[in-house]
Amino acid sequence: MRIAADRILGLALIGLAAFAAFNASQFQVNFSYEPVGPKAFPILLSAILATLSLVLVFRPGENGDWPDKRVTLKLLAVLGVLLVYALLFTRLGYVVMTFLTVLSLARLFEASWKKAVIAGVLMTLGSYYLFTLGLGIALPGGHWLPDFN
Amino acid sequence: MFDFLIQGFDVALSPMNLGLAFLGALLGTLFGALPGIGPINGIAILMPLAYTLGLPAESALILLAGVYTGAEYGGRMSSILLNVPGDAGAVMTTLDGHPLAKKGLAGPALGLSAVSSFVGATIAIIGLTLFAPLLAEVAVMFGPAEFFALMVFAFASMSVMMGNDPIKTGIGAVLGVLIAMVGVDSGTGVMRFTFGMAELYDGIDFVVMIIGLFAISEILLMLEHAHGKNANQEIPPLGRVMVSAKELLYCKWAMLRSGVIGFIVGVLPGTGASVAGAVTYTTEKRLSDKHNTFGTGDMRGLAAPEAGNNASAAGSFVPMLTLGIPGSGTTAVLLGALMLYNITPGPMLFTERPEVAGGLIASLYIGNLVLLALNLPLAGLFAKTLTMPRWVLVPGIAILAFVGVYQLHSDLMAIYLMLIIGVFGYALRKLGFSLAPVILGYVLGGLMEDNLRRALSISGGEVGILWNSAISVGLWIAAVMLLVLPWMLSRAFSRKSPVTA
Repeated sequence: MRIAADRILGLALIGLAAFAAFNASQFQVNFSYEPVGPKAFPILLSAILATLSLVLVFRPGENGDWPDKRVTLKLLAVLGVLLVYALLFTRLGYVVMTFLTVLSLARLFEASWKKAVIAGVLMTLGSYYLFTLGLGIALPGGHWLPDFN
Repeated sequence: MFDFLIQGFDVALSPMNLGLAFLGALLGTLFGALPGIGPINGIAILMPLAYTLGLPAESALILLAGVYTGAEYGGRMSSILLNVPGDAGAVMTTLDGHPLAKKGLAGPALGLSAVSSFVGATIAIIGLTLFAPLLAEVAVMFGPAEFFALMVFAFASMSVMMGNDPIKTGIGAVLGVLIAMVGVDSGTGVMRFTFGMAELYDGIDFVVMIIGLFAISEILLMLEHAHGKNANQEIPPLGRVMVSAKELLYCKWAMLRSGVIGFIVGVLPGTGASVAGAVTYTTEKRLSDKHNTFGTGDMRGLAAPEAGNNASAAGSFVPMLTLGIPGSGTTAVLLGALMLYNITPGPMLFTERPEVAGGLIASLYIGNLVLLALNLPLAGLFAKTLTMPRWVLVPGIAILAFVGVYQLHSDLMAIYLMLIIGVFGYALRKLGFSLAPVILGYVLGGLMEDNLRRALSISGGEVGILWNSAISVGLWIAAVMLLVLPWMLSRAFSRKSPVTA
């Protein structure tokens, strides 16, 4: 099981090396004063990567344990929360999105609703004033609130 | 010869820089103590903020170096109290530190580790002051060919020393170099690996890279650990957080020896605190463990790795400042921070920007004193941060990561890239990779290619220039020895005595 993961990784990396080498070979240099252009180094790297990956395929090392189904779902949920945070960061504004993100992350990390709400309010307001007043960083106010500040 | 140090103290003793050294030490200790945030994460999170504040280069570096050394102090907390190393550098500290805590000696163990950290760091800072200018004078003679050979040596030493799987260390470093290739080639203006995306023309930004790789992947790992065995642990009672003169004298040789060894390990490019901890612990065990008390709560077994990992932190500044080659993953991040300020560390740094080199070194002396003063009386307070629940910690890291990246670029693309790199970093860590080689490869990759191309354009494409001088030949031989020797030694040993592990 563990060994399989390293073999697959090794093969995937060989694929990556081949892709990088092919991609590098397509670089078009119009004119150059240098004997070594921008192609040589990436191709050399791909060769090293392929060689090392080949060793991995034949002599796999140890991997960590993979998370079970429940944890995997939670991992995806955390990533989803972070992605939504990024997507709506400028549209809904820092304050709203940070509150929602802290709330959902705290819930995903098993805080009670009460604790999660308190954390959300305190961290949102605290960080907002720290960043804007303390550090002078301009944070997105959100398009739907014309003058939040 | 020590003009730079006098000038450095002048810089470091200004009220603002003193305050920053203090702040860095305090935050660093907290970051080190908090579960899951090591020196690299701490620096990754603070760097964009330091940059935004518009701090001058030397002040930003003083703050970040304070975080680095502070985190090496803070990492011991969870090692001793919970048997969970706070970061890679503190792994060996658990071996005797936690048994001491179980014996009811948690307080003295914390006190001892603070003092031995101080002793180790002091030895190494003195070493840095003495050797860095000398090395800088040698390094002035380096041409592109020598620098290329030096980087090959750095990668060789890294793959042997770092992590437990040399192949994966090597792969990680190559991946890092490949990521550094993304963007417009500075020599010819050719777009490399940009896939027509305008956002990638400038390459993958350093801040995006390290915050994604370290902070985001850490959030994902924390979720897993939250479901692991030791999710919620009790902190044993501290007792007196003081170490007696008798105990200190008992450990004096362990501290002094480990300080020197740790410094040397730190100077070697590519090796960091984890190697220093391991080397000093095993050395001390071999030299002074006459009654087999190491591993059961021997004070010397705690003093050695603590002095060693702090000494290596200071030692790793030597190659970074003089050669521009980071001695550890954390100094790789600091090197990137300097590059944000358009400062390329190297042999000329001591003559051209003495306020940066000297200010940093002087601030290490000051920071080290601050750390000792903070850590003896406040150990109990720092220990409390260990109980900080993850549901506070994780949103905090997320906010800092998002705001840090956003305010540098005001661009959502950078945030998406950060998340993608975070998943990539998580996968690498799950597959048994250490991230330090990746970041070293990323930082050194561009320089390595530049030097190779410059060397070959001097020689008109003649490859022989790469081993044309005594310095470069020496470095090539050293690199090959490093790669071949451990393998040959392990074969020789395993044939002679299968018992030696």
